[in-house]
Amino acid sequence: MTRTSNETGAGTGPLAQRRRRFRDFVDETDPGALATVGVMAVSLLSALAGFLAVSPLTIIPFAVFLVSAGYGWLRHQGLTARVLTFSMMVSTVLILLLITVFIFVESIPVIRYESATVFGVSIPGLRLFTQTQWDAVSPPIRYSMVPMIHGTVMVTAIATAVAAPLGVAAALFLSEIAPPTVREVVKPGVEILAGIPSIVYGFIGFTILSPWAADQFQTVGQGSYLFVGIVVGLMALPTVVSVAEDALSSVPESMKSGSLAMGTTDWQTMTSITLPAAFSGVSAAVLLGVGRAIGETMAATVMLRGVPQLTKPLYNAFYGQATLTSLIANNYGEADGLQMDALFVAGVILFITVLLISIGAQYIEWRMHRKLGGDV
Amino acid sequence: MSDGTTSGTGVSRRKFLVSSGAIGAAGLAGCTSNGQNNSGGGDGGDGGDGGSGGPALLTAEGSSTVYPISNKGSSYWNANAPPSDGEYWGSNDEGQVPGWNEIQTDDNLADYFAAKYGFEKTGQRSNPPYNTTVSLSHSGTGCKAVRDELVDIGNSSGPITAELGWSEEKANEEVVDHVVGRDGQPVVVSSDIYDNGVQQLTGEQVRKIYQDEITNWSEVGGPDQEIFCIGRAEGSGTDTAFRLNMLGSADAPMPGVDSRFGQNQQVAEAVSNNDGAIAYMALAFTSESVQPIGIEFEGTLYQPDKDAENTIFDSSYPLNRDLHMYTKITEDTPSGTDKREGAFLNMFLTNFGQTVFVEQNNYIPLPTSDIKSEADKLPEKA
Repeated sequence: MTRTSNETGAGTGPLAQRRRRFRDFVDETDPGALATVGVMAVSLLSALAGFLAVSPLTIIPFAVFLVSAGYGWLRHQGLTARVLTFSMMVSTVLILLLITVFIFVESIPVIRYESATVFGVSIPGLRLFTQTQWDAVSPPIRYSMVPMIHGTVMVTAIATAVAAPLGVAAALFLSEIAPPTVREVVKPGVEILAGIPSIVYGFIGFTILSPWAADQFQTVGQGSYLFVGIVVGLMALPTVVSVAEDALSSVPESMKSGSLAMGTTDWQTMTSITLPAAFSGVSAAVLLGVGRAIGETMAATVMLRGVPQLTKPLYNAFYGQATLTSLIANNYGEADGLQMDALFVAGVILFITVLLISIGAQYIEWRMHRKLGGDV
Repeated sequence: MSDGTTSGTGVSRRKFLVSSGAIGAAGLAGCTSNGQNNSGGGDGGDGGDGGSGGPALLTAEGSSTVYPISNKGSSYWNANAPPSDGEYWGSNDEGQVPGWNEIQTDDNLADYFAAKYGFEKTGQRSNPPYNTTVSLSHSGTGCKAVRDELVDIGNSSGPITAELGWSEEKANEEVVDHVVGRDGQPVVVSSDIYDNGVQQLTGEQVRKIYQDEITNWSEVGGPDQEIFCIGRAEGSGTDTAFRLNMLGSADAPMPGVDSRFGQNQQVAEAVSNNDGAIAYMALAFTSESVQPIGIEFEGTLYQPDKDAENTIFDSSYPLNRDLHMYTKITEDTPSGTDKREGAFLNMFLTNFGQTVFVEQNNYIPLPTSDIKSEADKLPEKA
């Protein structure tokens, strides 16, 4: 009996094969364990359904799930653990998916509101990017994302200009030049720096750096992209140093020795062998730093002016208006209606940008892995 | 009190409400047995109209804006702290409450105020002559509740005429309006501007500054310095009130604003750190480097001085609104305010009450003249 089903299954492709494997699993497993796992699965699914329906009864299937999981853990630990870890993985993915969908759905009204007509075709959301005025209160009410995108680009560019050269240089020193003792002390120290809460940087920026800058550059009041960029760059520095150092030290020793054997100096080896070999890893480090700069909220919010408009001229970094993150942080408490939805649009833009950057960093890392084959 | 933030309608007040709401709810739970018998009647003037023996529980309900004042008063009242406490009532080695010099009594807090209206003192901590409780809802709900005699005091941040659509006459027939404090913002400038001659502006000048028609202090008699114009979070209650009262309409444009902040602390910090700054914010955050200025509005100069003829604490000052506690006129109390209500409200109309319950919640205390006229609305003291 089993044999025949095996044969037919194998004959009709992967789906049937999977069905056959499932049947085998059911046959082999103790019915008690199977029942427990079944109860867990059903109760968890109905808890999910209850959650989505915002039902107060959600607690019941969830409690059933907890009890059956507890029972299963005591009686059939192996199988229960498999089911539990699997369901945790699924719920992580599901939660992320729900958040993403929620952000997109919430932003729809303002995307509709900011439709613009091009050649007789109405394109939703186009006006968010084709004009530059943001005014949530006085008519004409406009929610342009351009000033915030401009602000984010300015801050990120300045932060990268600070973090990339400093970070790569420091990483090069730590990896290639510094004696091992220095490296063992400094590297963890730098990584601890990455853990300083951003509000601390923001606080110093708001109370000390910004007023000083306003005084020195004689701007009207405080808040400049230049100094926000510098502060955010310093915040991103530890990440860049740490990841770039990993990349540099993963270059195989044999490559460096080979170069040195040809009679090059240490410096020549670094510039012509080590850096090019680790180039993709170093780029990933810089990209991670950039990602942090884009997403940085607290420091930007307290140091910027919070008035969404373009600076004049565009490259004027001595005035700092708003970034995508600071817009959300400044207004979430008071916004309602379309203004709230506009904040979600800022969230969507951030989401997509950071997603692209982290995919880019992953890709580069994967390439490096393939190229050198070493541990990263 | 609270965490000392926005006096407009900011987030922090909500936070404060959440925390104090819990206290209020606990207080409510503690007195329900006492209250259920009597809460309907706003007529327990001489005490003892219910089964519980003492005077009826005093109930209040309404606006979340008035709630911090009302609820803090109620908490202080119910605690009935002895004069040796120092922190909540009276004085000791560690300190004394504001306005104590005018009070100087040996009685506990609630005993002192209640005795003025002939209630019996208990002399015990946590056991006032009668308990008080404040519920949190909305201005309109508070007005309706006092109209229907469901509560003794209806808290409202808007006039009852607007909340219930009443005429002035109807309101005067039905309820008595007790103003206990004000919500609003003085206009402030940084000290360099204040010291260089700009100590008052006209409403029109403020409007022009915020609408980018005036961009230099020299245009209004100050030094040659660009104006750093600070506003509040776009669309917040404070922002809307400012647009409405200063700029003419709730959706008036504000192109002159250089910077916007969500919290009073940030505004105060930015004003004191930058030259040539102008802003509007809660009074409690003004200081040497953040100076409130006088505003001339329609021919009247409102001065930042409590005892002046017209002050920025007046209700006619355009950035202010009154915070009301309404009491109902009934057959038993034709004056509208019975003795229980009178004793409780009187607590707010002292320097102690104004400082502790109004100013410490970041509201504007009443000027001296208004305290007098409000006190005249209360029943005769025993």
